[in-house]
Amino acid sequence: MIGRIHWWTVILVGVIATIWVIPVLGIVVTSLRPPSEVALGWWRLDTFSITFSAWIRVWDEYPLAQAFWFTGMLAALATLGTMLLAPIAAYAFHFLKFPFRRLLLILIINAFVLPQQVVVIPLFTLWRDLKLIDNIAAVLIPYIGLSFAWSIFLVKNFLEDFPKELIEAAKIDGCGPISTLRHVVLPNATSPIFAVGVLQFLWSWNALLLPMLYLRSMQPLPVLLTKVAGTYESNWDLRSVAAIVTTIVPLIVFVIFQRQFAAGSQTRTGAKE
Amino acid sequence: MTRSVAEAVTDRSGVPSRAGGGRLRLPATTGWRIKEAPAAWLLIAPVIILFGIAVVYPLIDTIRLSFYDIKGLAPAKWVGIGNYVTLFNDSTFRNTLLTTLIFTLGTTVISVSLGWVLAMLCAFAPAHTTPFRGMMFVTFGISEAVSGYMWLNILRPDKAGLLNAVIGVFVPGYAHSWLGDPNTALWALIFVASWSGVGLPLMLCFAAVQSIPKTVLEAAYMDGAKPTSIMRHIMMPLSLPGVRVAIFINLLGALRAFDIIYVMTGGGPVRATETVGYFMYRESMTQFKLGYGAAATVVLLVAVLVISIPAIIQRTAGAK
Repeated sequence: MIGRIHWWTVILVGVIATIWVIPVLGIVVTSLRPPSEVALGWWRLDTFSITFSAWIRVWDEYPLAQAFWFTGMLAALATLGTMLLAPIAAYAFHFLKFPFRRLLLILIINAFVLPQQVVVIPLFTLWRDLKLIDNIAAVLIPYIGLSFAWSIFLVKNFLEDFPKELIEAAKIDGCGPISTLRHVVLPNATSPIFAVGVLQFLWSWNALLLPMLYLRSMQPLPVLLTKVAGTYESNWDLRSVAAIVTTIVPLIVFVIFQRQFAAGSQTRTGAKE
Repeated sequence: MTRSVAEAVTDRSGVPSRAGGGRLRLPATTGWRIKEAPAAWLLIAPVIILFGIAVVYPLIDTIRLSFYDIKGLAPAKWVGIGNYVTLFNDSTFRNTLLTTLIFTLGTTVISVSLGWVLAMLCAFAPAHTTPFRGMMFVTFGISEAVSGYMWLNILRPDKAGLLNAVIGVFVPGYAHSWLGDPNTALWALIFVASWSGVGLPLMLCFAAVQSIPKTVLEAAYMDGAKPTSIMRHIMMPLSLPGVRVAIFINLLGALRAFDIIYVMTGGGPVRATETVGYFMYRESMTQFKLGYGAAATVVLLVAVLVISIPAIIQRTAGAK
């Protein structure tokens, strides 16, 4: 900014930001202190000791490790699906001519306003009739299908500035539509494809409602966390570990890719679901 | 014959036809050798199929089911608008509508206005406040379910809850069950949802404030404007476009809220924190009234579409 620095704004913002992260600090401290010490509050310093007891016990008490790998696998598959299919479709919508092109495009990119509640009942009855409840396809199909509204929009927006000369040059060199996609467009569109992947990874890792309804035997971390937290035992230390384990991977990804996220969330809207 | 080939080639590439039929017969120089439309259909086929199953079919089926009475596995019975009549005569649902309105507006007003004010404050010292903006944006990277859990820890009903302890400094022995009292549960939820969501309005508004031309701000300084009046008369009006986007995103996000309600209150106490998005889940997935739940979903859908009209018009016009 022009002129002198206004330190009072820095201090004010700093105080608010510090208050803001107290709940995060709260579960980290709760997970690391023996329950007897924090019975009157995790911030009290009457006696202070650090223990990893909850971090060690939690893996035996709850199927946290399996859920961790399962969540990672679901998120990876959903991310791969979207990263593969969305750029291909965006290319077709942007560079190729075919009947109903604009109508389909308008339908897909406007679907971003739909809440996930819309799919709950129809897909529940459909999966029940097809015996797909408890099959990972029951959540992967909606994860990937619901992502197209914003992922295709994001990649197509990028392609709008894609140099037409490259496409023309490929045509002259004898590339068909598909080899142009493979050799010209995809290698030069890695940044939006990557951004789409990051968003889809965060979203599918954090999904709660659909896996809770469509999966039975194996459940991803957010669903497990609600079960751990839903019991009436005083297991605050274990719950805190489960919460940290649930959020640590997407949080690291989010921190590393903040920039893409800020740009992408404008198109995805209500990014936290 | 030559002419029709020439026309076809010209149509596809948009390049004006040149004299000399021989050259125009070579599609490789002006268009694709393979037909475009079949290739395009091949490329979008997986997207169309998945989008059809995950979006189009559920959308149509939700509307269709809302006209049926379906309880569990019993055969569906056509009831016309019966479900909607029942919904609007159901005092629980009318209460849910009010809860949805308070939750949606409350969350949006709190998170957008807080994000906006903070963004303007940060703009007075952008470099020095970067770590603080990061701290607040990070809470946006924590999923709603985990955010809800973190706040359960802060809002514990006994003295081990930090909020009760802080109030306890002024009122000895204070212990309030924030989420157990129907009068405070919804506001606690609104506050937590705002806490969790403020990062996005902060970033959007900050970008909007940063995009104000430096010359405008310089001129204000030269004229001796105070920081508060710069905020009030320059930053606020000129960052409005960013604020509008933030408001829209927050409204949509609050209408579809589910995770945070499920984790923190489960819709209780006495259904005081149930929004329409939660009501449909409860009726259809725990009470197995699928038709009734579908009708509630359609009501949610109408609300979402109404607030999305400007965005839909904008996207449709931009789809080329």
